[in-house]
Amino acid sequence: MGDGPEIVTISRRRFLRQTGVGGIGLLTFSIAGCQKKMTPAEARQSQVSYQVLSGSDVLAIETLGDALAPGSAAAGIAHYIDHQLNAPIEECMLMIRYLGVPTPFTPFYKGGLSAASAAATQVFSKPIEDLDETECRSLVSQIATGNVVGWQGPPSEFFYFVLRADAVDVRYGTKQGFADLEIPYAAHIEPPSSWGQ
Amino acid sequence: MTFHPSLTEKRFDAIVVGSGAAGSAIAAKLAQGGKKVLIVEGGPDRRNDQLVSSQLWARRLKWNGAPVIEDGANPVGHAFNASYGVGGAAMHHYAVWPRLHEEDFEMASRYEVGLDWPIGYDDLRSYYDIAQREAGISGDADAEIWRPKGAPYPMGPVPLLEQGRIIARGFERTGRNVAPLPLAVTSAIYNGRPVCLWDGWCDAGCPIGALANPLTLYLPEAMSHDAVMISDTPVTRILISDNGERATGVAVRPGGGAEQVLTADVVVLAAFAIQNPRLLLASATESHPQGIGNRSGLLGKYIMTHSAALIYGLFEEKTHQYKGATGGQLVSQDSYPKRTHEHDGAFGSYQWMIAQAVKPNDLLGIATTRADLFGEELHEFMVRAAHGFGSMTGCIEDLPVATNSVTLSDQKDDLGVPLARVFHTHNEQSSALWKSALAEGKKIFEAAGAREVWTGPQGAMHIMGGTIMGSDSKNSVTNSYGQIHDVPNLVVVGPGLFPTSGGVNPTFTINALALRSADHLLKHWPV
Repeated sequence: MGDGPEIVTISRRRFLRQTGVGGIGLLTFSIAGCQKKMTPAEARQSQVSYQVLSGSDVLAIETLGDALAPGSAAAGIAHYIDHQLNAPIEECMLMIRYLGVPTPFTPFYKGGLSAASAAATQVFSKPIEDLDETECRSLVSQIATGNVVGWQGPPSEFFYFVLRADAVDVRYGTKQGFADLEIPYAAHIEPPSSWGQ
Repeated sequence: MTFHPSLTEKRFDAIVVGSGAAGSAIAAKLAQGGKKVLIVEGGPDRRNDQLVSSQLWARRLKWNGAPVIEDGANPVGHAFNASYGVGGAAMHHYAVWPRLHEEDFEMASRYEVGLDWPIGYDDLRSYYDIAQREAGISGDADAEIWRPKGAPYPMGPVPLLEQGRIIARGFERTGRNVAPLPLAVTSAIYNGRPVCLWDGWCDAGCPIGALANPLTLYLPEAMSHDAVMISDTPVTRILISDNGERATGVAVRPGGGAEQVLTADVVVLAAFAIQNPRLLLASATESHPQGIGNRSGLLGKYIMTHSAALIYGLFEEKTHQYKGATGGQLVSQDSYPKRTHEHDGAFGSYQWMIAQAVKPNDLLGIATTRADLFGEELHEFMVRAAHGFGSMTGCIEDLPVATNSVTLSDQKDDLGVPLARVFHTHNEQSSALWKSALAEGKKIFEAAGAREVWTGPQGAMHIMGGTIMGSDSKNSVTNSYGQIHDVPNLVVVGPGLFPTSGGVNPTFTINALALRSADHLLKHWPV
């Protein structure tokens, strides 16, 4: 070890003040032609229209999302995915961007959601959003293990992995998610949205 | 930092293609040596104050350039391991900076396995010392009983926190050794850089300057010596003289627009292990019909990636796994001797990086370690893991195999450059070594008192090879300074030069090699 320089630390608060960042900003959603910043959860509460996903896509995402990581629907998983799919690829924050899937990612999501919805109809004879908890769990288990007969979409095990990652992101990867797990977030630079995206 | 979105000048002493660890280091030294240097970065500009503490935002640091087609049983994970933008992959690296060992340079001679480097450890030792002084490494050289000769670290070790203390019990109880992990992260104020806060956000990039990424280290140095950098400017071709003996410059497409030609006395390729051979292959001319530097037929070959041996456990005690550095707190290289696990069919070296800072989400986050869980079971696991999770990662040597290679695809990117196709499958000895490490790691965690122990898949970390150095043009692409055989003013830097991977993280060696190349070029200018 060399000559020991003075050991002092820069406080997080001081750093944030120095850099002038750490403020709050939100995702930009379009409402009646106006741009408004809000969290995905707020966008869901405000019934902001979707840019990429269809109504059936949203029902499937929220159903599967809550089955994967309970609470992810209320956290705005559908608006989050919709926003990210609508963003330029260089701004995309979905985990899929480094999992070897060619861009654009929308066909992957729509293909998987369509296949999951079809599987629900085939196996349980009802729309995916009407599955009860046991049925939904069974469906997710089949998707996760590649055991959906007649699956017509991206490899189901991989689709499970990707959508589960998204559900985990909005449920546990946010400042609220950290707080729910009693894990200090301790940001150097605060994420520019209150949901910690 | 000087930033030029457009160029009025077209001629430079040196053009450096890429602004990551290797590119920034050689650019800084050439500029410091009085050369007029241009750094050309294909991706976007970045600043430290854009490095948001979030595993989601961290993904914007990953690769976003031309797609890379991956093939083979063990893909190298290019989109995860690479980066696209100023600072390159070193912007999201964990700053674990151990040295290669002497035997890593002499694999063929000593063991009749793999390849020899054209240099030995002693040729690189002084450059390791310079690199660690300039970057600032925290560690305890005496405690690293396996460490090759070299100057002591300039800063004391990183703090040992709860997770590290708990896992260290397992090493102690099984008769193994640990030492503080050598990290290019500040444990004290260093050259004006503040001390690390140990909040575990290294993966998202370090905005405070504690971690030695290019935005903190060599890019400011390069700019202070009047180097110029342009971003969002992909290089589409390397230009070669008619006789094929000199590089004359590069063709670029700023912002994807019209082609411009930039000329230089020296062209340095610092675009990482996949894009460098891609560019050399795609720049074939009459004088280099198989690609520049491919007289040996070895251009693109010997791609390597370390297997990650991922060990996870749940402990009764609170581990505070969210604190510390993403790279970890402790290291053990007891399993570095190549023949340690030969009886299992394994061969090679590995080290353990112990007690990594882990967040709940992302590919290396807590939730992904049990990707089989969902619903209430996942939530119950997350609640338990939030207080008692521990992890360590083995960095497992990948022996060089010629068929693991970069070739050009029939598909092209938006600028008309053929895409890279990367084939990679670990050989049996390397995969056996990974399995052997997993078995050892589980025993260590059990001995440490973990009430649950599990392991992860054979992930890929770091990418090396593809433009290997060697003694002549029959066995390699470059000489030991990275100069392409037969085209001495065309220089490759970065992990692509490695003929062997060793069992340690590559960035320290990348920096040392780049400093050595810069030193050589300046002493022999004009090259």
